[in-house]
Amino acid sequence: MKTSYLFPHRFKAVSGVVFVTAFLILLGYFIFDFENKFNFTTKVFTIIGDTGFGGGGSLLGDQVYFKLIENDIADEILIALIIVSGIVFGFAKEKHEDEMVAFIRLHSLAWATIANYSILLFCYLFIYGFTFFNVLMAAMFSQLIIFIVLFRFKMYRFYTTLQHEE
Amino acid sequence: MKNNIKVQRAIHNLTQQDLADRISVSRQTINALEAGKYVPSTVLALKLAKLFDKTVNEIFELEAED
Repeated sequence: MKTSYLFPHRFKAVSGVVFVTAFLILLGYFIFDFENKFNFTTKVFTIIGDTGFGGGGSLLGDQVYFKLIENDIADEILIALIIVSGIVFGFAKEKHEDEMVAFIRLHSLAWATIANYSILLFCYLFIYGFTFFNVLMAAMFSQLIIFIVLFRFKMYRFYTTLQHEE
Repeated sequence: MKNNIKVQRAIHNLTQQDLADRISVSRQTINALEAGKYVPSTVLALKLAKLFDKTVNEIFELEAED
């Protein structure tokens, strides 16, 4: 059986390195507040946006459509890197791609979806106020991360724990 | 589902790796098949049957809970 939607195996290593690096830097942004140390503010095109705190009549400023606004693009770059490299890493062919690997991948994806939405539901019910904004940030790639961790763990077990018999 | 892949493999004097290479899967997949942890697709079952020169029914057998 041939699966056609997977990325070639040669992308796996490089996307894995980019994924982990970008994810650690993004964590740095949240935990160590890199945002105030490095600034990549530039003009960006927005479909819908606002002029920011104190930029207009209301609290969040005026809403603008199809305009250039000022924004720090570091988080945009990091999230683009995480999503693209995460998808490629999670859905790249294994060295020995066969139907059992496809089965393990599908199984991991199903469990990652269930786990992710269980966590989201829990957070939705018990986290309120501005802190919930953090939940929404994490929810952007939590499913991808849970899937990758689960799939790698299952593949690790698949490769190691089965005894070799002649 | 039960199977006698291990017996057939012994009859044909193949290692797990040899068998894996013949039907283009990984050795771990053969191991999981023999341990009854994985039910193969129809394509893979037919490939095994062709290689062992048996019918699929002679290699695979339904169990009560299937």
